[in-house]
Amino acid sequence: MSSFFAVVGLILLTSALWLLPLVPALAELHRKSDASPLSVIQQHTGEIRFFADGFRAYMKSLEPVLRECVSSGTHASGTMPDGSEYLVLGRGEEALFLPLREQNEFRPVMIVSGSDLLLPPETNFSKDIYSAGSVIGGTKSRYRAILADHDVRLGPDSSVMRWVHAAGEFSADSGCSLCGRVSSDTGIRLSEECSFLRLNAPHIVIGSEADSSPATPQISADEPTPQRLFHDGDFEIRAGEVFEGNLVVRGRLRIGTAARVRGSVKSEKEMVLEPYVSVEGSLISASIMQIGADCRIRGPVIAERVMLIRKNTHCGTLANPTTVSAPDIQVERGVVVFGTLWARELGQVVADL
Amino acid sequence: MIYVLYVIVSVICVYTARHYWFTLNRLFAFQRHPYIDIDTADWPPVTVLVAAHNEEKVVANILSALMTVKYPEDKMLVIPVNDRSTDRTREIIDEFVERFPGRIRPFHRKDGKGGKAAALKDAMELVETEVILIFDADYIPGAGLVKQLTAPFFDPEVGGVMGRVVPMNCGTNLLTRLLDLERSGGYQVDQQARMNLRLVPQHGGTVAGVRLSALREIGGWNDTSLTEDTDLTYRLLLRGWKTVYQNRSECYEEVPETWPVRIKQIKRWAKGHNQAMVTYGLRLLLGRHRASLRERIDGTLLLGVYIMAPFTLLGWALALGVFYQGVAPLHGIVAILSVTAYAAIGNLAAFFEIAAAVRLDGSRRRVSLVPFLILGFAVSIFAVSWAAVSQVKDALTGAEFHWDKTERFRKAAS
Repeated sequence: MSSFFAVVGLILLTSALWLLPLVPALAELHRKSDASPLSVIQQHTGEIRFFADGFRAYMKSLEPVLRECVSSGTHASGTMPDGSEYLVLGRGEEALFLPLREQNEFRPVMIVSGSDLLLPPETNFSKDIYSAGSVIGGTKSRYRAILADHDVRLGPDSSVMRWVHAAGEFSADSGCSLCGRVSSDTGIRLSEECSFLRLNAPHIVIGSEADSSPATPQISADEPTPQRLFHDGDFEIRAGEVFEGNLVVRGRLRIGTAARVRGSVKSEKEMVLEPYVSVEGSLISASIMQIGADCRIRGPVIAERVMLIRKNTHCGTLANPTTVSAPDIQVERGVVVFGTLWARELGQVVADL
Repeated sequence: MIYVLYVIVSVICVYTARHYWFTLNRLFAFQRHPYIDIDTADWPPVTVLVAAHNEEKVVANILSALMTVKYPEDKMLVIPVNDRSTDRTREIIDEFVERFPGRIRPFHRKDGKGGKAAALKDAMELVETEVILIFDADYIPGAGLVKQLTAPFFDPEVGGVMGRVVPMNCGTNLLTRLLDLERSGGYQVDQQARMNLRLVPQHGGTVAGVRLSALREIGGWNDTSLTEDTDLTYRLLLRGWKTVYQNRSECYEEVPETWPVRIKQIKRWAKGHNQAMVTYGLRLLLGRHRASLRERIDGTLLLGVYIMAPFTLLGWALALGVFYQGVAPLHGIVAILSVTAYAAIGNLAAFFEIAAAVRLDGSRRRVSLVPFLILGFAVSIFAVSWAAVSQVKDALTGAEFHWDKTERFRKAAS
């Protein structure tokens, strides 16, 4: 009898040990505490203006207060339904004089202005800012996010932590650090030694307009020919040559001075474009890409590691905007990108490459 | 007998190492998403094919979703490929054609060979654009998906694109929860690691795209294949076209909710995969073409994933046979150490991959269901083995492949 119980006990014990790892599984199966589908981005939060649009919707409830402050020329403060404090300014220049600073930091209040907003220098703005006019920032200031219905101008050595959207032009003086998304419905201009991540505007100018020379080859709007040429190993398109079709190179690719590519180009290794090259399709490098001065590229420009763009090169056109993207991008003055300039890890404006 | 066992064990060890390699790569290495940043471009004209065979329950959802995606309206044409449906599919599609004039051009197929590849092949007469996207009717694309799947075609080396599928009915029962975990492992780790390592991401035939010139170059859709997606992956690869995977291009799908439907689905996949293995395996590994050495090896291993099920069963049978014959393989102690090591590490490889994927997805508590995967594994190993056996039988008797559509469980849209 005792041996019978021993066998039964052994079986029960073995079963219990076998089932032990299944206890959390059975509990989760019963509770369904994590059974909803993974969140799939259905509304395209990758859209560059996503946060700006969200902020505009969030501020909708402040419109009556803003109108009242603008008409009376006063300011008002209060608390949003989620508990965030706000300060509404009827006249934007008031921000220069309001006694809100505590050790160079604005109290964490959202600032909403009904006209051009003048902001003091060397100040940390830890909440979002909206202006129905322009935003003009002082030197060495730090912003969380800015939305303006006109222009945004950041003073030297300022930084933005999350995003900026300007319905007018956005410009950043030298030494600014733009850590998030920056977009404009008109144009973006970055001065020397600025760093950036993601920029989007009809045209993005590095340096001043005067830095960009117009004496460069034009790109045709013809459809590139779809014929594809494969090449194993390194390849060179000679200076002045016109290459027809799409090109895939499994090694390094060099495109000589003033060569023209009537199609798209891909290289598995380093790609070098000498000056005055024009490409009517896209440029893709699985490694490093060096684009010489005064080049014209019509389609997307993608490098999987590093991209260096020398002065006066234009990517895209006003009619056909494009994307320039790499983890690490360095651009010289005079470069113009029509569309998106996106450095995943770090983008920098440099004097000379 | 013992040498056959050695071969089987060696191959299983290769797959084990592969699981770990992919998982560790996904967890710690640089992740490649080269085309996901292309958000501004002169977008090319695109044709979206929606494969639909008796899809009255779901076709309205996908057409509605496609009509709201962010892609220039004048550059996107949707072609619902209504393949001999006998339910209300045609009626629903025609309602959408009326509501969105010029944006949907239906292809109502009344007869012809069965199967998705055959239907897509016939629908190609309506396609004029260089970029073609393909969705099964039970998928629901998000607003940015068409752009995301089109972007890689700016790369002249890309012939095919594959996005990620995410089960939307995962909470229904144990099966759907297990399939949700499997999908996570398959896409979040397996496919992305192949993309990172420049191996062979697999075209899935839905939430996917193909370049028209590449498709023409390889001879169009293969309507003799049971899995036109696997077939397409290998034909593209052999002609020097890359298939790329976009892990962030996610789309909801419906997974089977009953075991018989799941078994039928996995048997079809297994047969199609094995068919591709026989057709392309040797040519890929040893032939003269543009695939790199790593693509040859990975592509061959990928072709072999379904044949591993009967191999594993054979290995178990041989191991038992060897044990009862009293044979001591590899001088006893080596065998014991090997078996112990494999039991500790090897058996967990696939589960480790899935657990890592779930963690990367940001889920927490669903990972506790991983031990139940042994159940799904057991069902799959026998179903896939049975498929392989019946495939051999069909080949010997000359029986034709039969294409089974996966049953839908969603309630029809009102």
